[in-house]
Amino acid sequence: MNSNNKENSVFIISLLLTLIFIVWGVFFTDNLAKVTDIIYNGSIDYLGWVYLGATLFFVIFSIYLLFSKYGDIRLGKKTDRPDFNTASWLAMLFGAGMGIGIVYWSVAEPVTHYTSPPYGEGHTINAANTAMKYTFFHWGLDPWAIYTVIGLALAFFQYNKRLPAAISSAFHPILGDRIYGPIGKTIDILSIFATVFGIATSLGLGAMQVTAGMHDLFGVPNQLFVQMIVIVVATIIFIISINTGLERGIQYLSNAAMILSFAIMLLILIVGPTLTVIKVFFNTTGLYISDFIHMSLRLKPFGEGEWIASWTLFYWAWWIAWAPFVGMFIARVSKGRTVKEFVIGVLVVPTLGTCLWMSIFGGSALELVQNTGNHDLAKKITEDVSLSIFTFFDYLPLSSVLSILGFAVVAIYYITVADTATFVLGMLSEGGTLNPSNKIKMTWGVIQSALAAVLLLAGGLNVLQTASIAAALPFAIILVVMCFSLVKGLKSEVEVQRGNKRSANHS
Amino acid sequence: MKLYQVRKGQFVYYNNELHKVYGVKPMYKLSVHLIKLRDLTQHITNAASVEKYKPKENDSFIFNHKAYTLKKERNAEAGDYILIHNPMPDSLDTYTLNEIELVETADKKGVITGNSHGVKHNEYLLMVPGRAADSSPIDYKDKANEEDESLSYIGALGPATSDLLPSIGDIYKKKDNDSIFEAMVVAIKDQTVYLGGGLEIPQEELMNTEKWEFLYNLLDK
Repeated sequence: MNSNNKENSVFIISLLLTLIFIVWGVFFTDNLAKVTDIIYNGSIDYLGWVYLGATLFFVIFSIYLLFSKYGDIRLGKKTDRPDFNTASWLAMLFGAGMGIGIVYWSVAEPVTHYTSPPYGEGHTINAANTAMKYTFFHWGLDPWAIYTVIGLALAFFQYNKRLPAAISSAFHPILGDRIYGPIGKTIDILSIFATVFGIATSLGLGAMQVTAGMHDLFGVPNQLFVQMIVIVVATIIFIISINTGLERGIQYLSNAAMILSFAIMLLILIVGPTLTVIKVFFNTTGLYISDFIHMSLRLKPFGEGEWIASWTLFYWAWWIAWAPFVGMFIARVSKGRTVKEFVIGVLVVPTLGTCLWMSIFGGSALELVQNTGNHDLAKKITEDVSLSIFTFFDYLPLSSVLSILGFAVVAIYYITVADTATFVLGMLSEGGTLNPSNKIKMTWGVIQSALAAVLLLAGGLNVLQTASIAAALPFAIILVVMCFSLVKGLKSEVEVQRGNKRSANHS
Repeated sequence: MKLYQVRKGQFVYYNNELHKVYGVKPMYKLSVHLIKLRDLTQHITNAASVEKYKPKENDSFIFNHKAYTLKKERNAEAGDYILIHNPMPDSLDTYTLNEIELVETADKKGVITGNSHGVKHNEYLLMVPGRAADSSPIDYKDKANEEDESLSYIGALGPATSDLLPSIGDIYKKKDNDSIFEAMVVAIKDQTVYLGGGLEIPQEELMNTEKWEFLYNLLDK
């Protein structure tokens, strides 16, 4: 009975918090926009350093784990072996971590930085290099380090310590059995709150992108109204899938989306300016590595930090809000890997993958804009960010094929993310059970769609960004503490595994 | 020409015996990887030489040298084996058709297996140890060709599991002896194990950890 109460209280409190927010957004839309604006400005002045510091810390911590003595610890029983071969494992990590976002931003971000760079003059060769460098930075080591920390913590405490699949489990070495008490509940509620916003942000972006795709392909008006219809239709689809056991179909869909996105990437590499892309990849990798520390700690103490807030801080907050979701996914597919394999697989390889992706999309787009002096294209892309990828496709050979593939990928990602999110939220809000009930999954399905819709209604992208910056902050601090808890847990595991070695030698 | 697709997890008959497909590698001539449920040995073949069987309630078969009967009469509890015959994995679950798993915890919504899979109560059949009297044995496709005795005999073998039973190539060390004596299993006939050096001892004696210690198998290294 006791555990039942706990499950319910986490679910009810986090649901109420989210509902309050939704009601606020629906009935006091202006007020919400105003308050989020205040938070947005406050985040620049007061909270920026927290995000920057925490995220840099996660990068350093992940690299430390890679070389630490904990590298040989296996996630799971010692006899466990990975469920997936390495290639499909890496593909799944990549798809889960970036998903909708990478399609949405891969053209828009470099071009936007190119027209209004963080420093220096826009529309120049320098600006193009800086744009690529910052794109690498925002999509490179930092997000993957965040996922490494949370994914490893979830996997380790779930498989090695046999604790429930909840965020609070990662605090067992520090809190002991208090993870089942009020402190643990608070951690779970905060993590759910951040996750709902992270997911709603992605769904909001996804709805804008799907609408833009329909606008490009079928001439559907690119308006808020259509975005709402997209959200409603998607909600109905995944609620049907939850209730009819079509979940396996969703798994096939997500595999298809991954194969399609790799196909698009290769196609653009071939039909686009291949040599430029390769040069961009090498050059930007160099710039990224050499300026990493500067970018990681860059704040503007004596000036306006507008740019940093709307890009770097937004990304860090979004990744952190998105982390419980991705972390849960990564943990599920990584059982049987060692810590060393895990860090290489989650931190190093996907970073290279995203950088390659960004070089291909961003490099080709910048080549179009810079070398041909096509300021018109740059203007079109920055004016309507959600249309950017389709605008970009129009300038390439085989544009209609690319647009259709692109639309398919975005639409599939939207459905799979929404569907998986209901499962993760169900697990988190029912005390980490692996069998969340359909009722709770459906409730979260409706709530997350409603939240995405409210955020879009209240002002689109800006409100999405601001909301995730605010919601992720408590969770950022939770993540930092989690690192120490993880080390404590790993340390005890090293002792256990060393003790077992003698007797296990001959079995 | 047979035109059905072999899929991972299916129970199939191959050489008249019950196997489970654990992998399909489409590009190869021998594309179907099988595991024989009776003794968990691996086999490889093509799709044409297997025949599908869908396990149902009250079927009995030998898994890893022990007989089990599939039942639905109660929900699984911790320690039970289950056969996931109707998998409906959630979006993050990684289990597939006909996985046989050990239940670690159970509640009213479902069970959690030793492999950290969350399985709902309608997705599995319970594997009750022993061959129920009214069950239909499914170990062989064509029972007439096989001796019925062997079926009941293996079923009655008891709780020993395969990785503990002596097999050829195992090297054992005698413990209740001051001088060093190590020997390899060279032959097994029923319950009698023949060790190198002309030693013939009953299986139970070799399994007695106070008298003999298992060192390693020749094939392991």
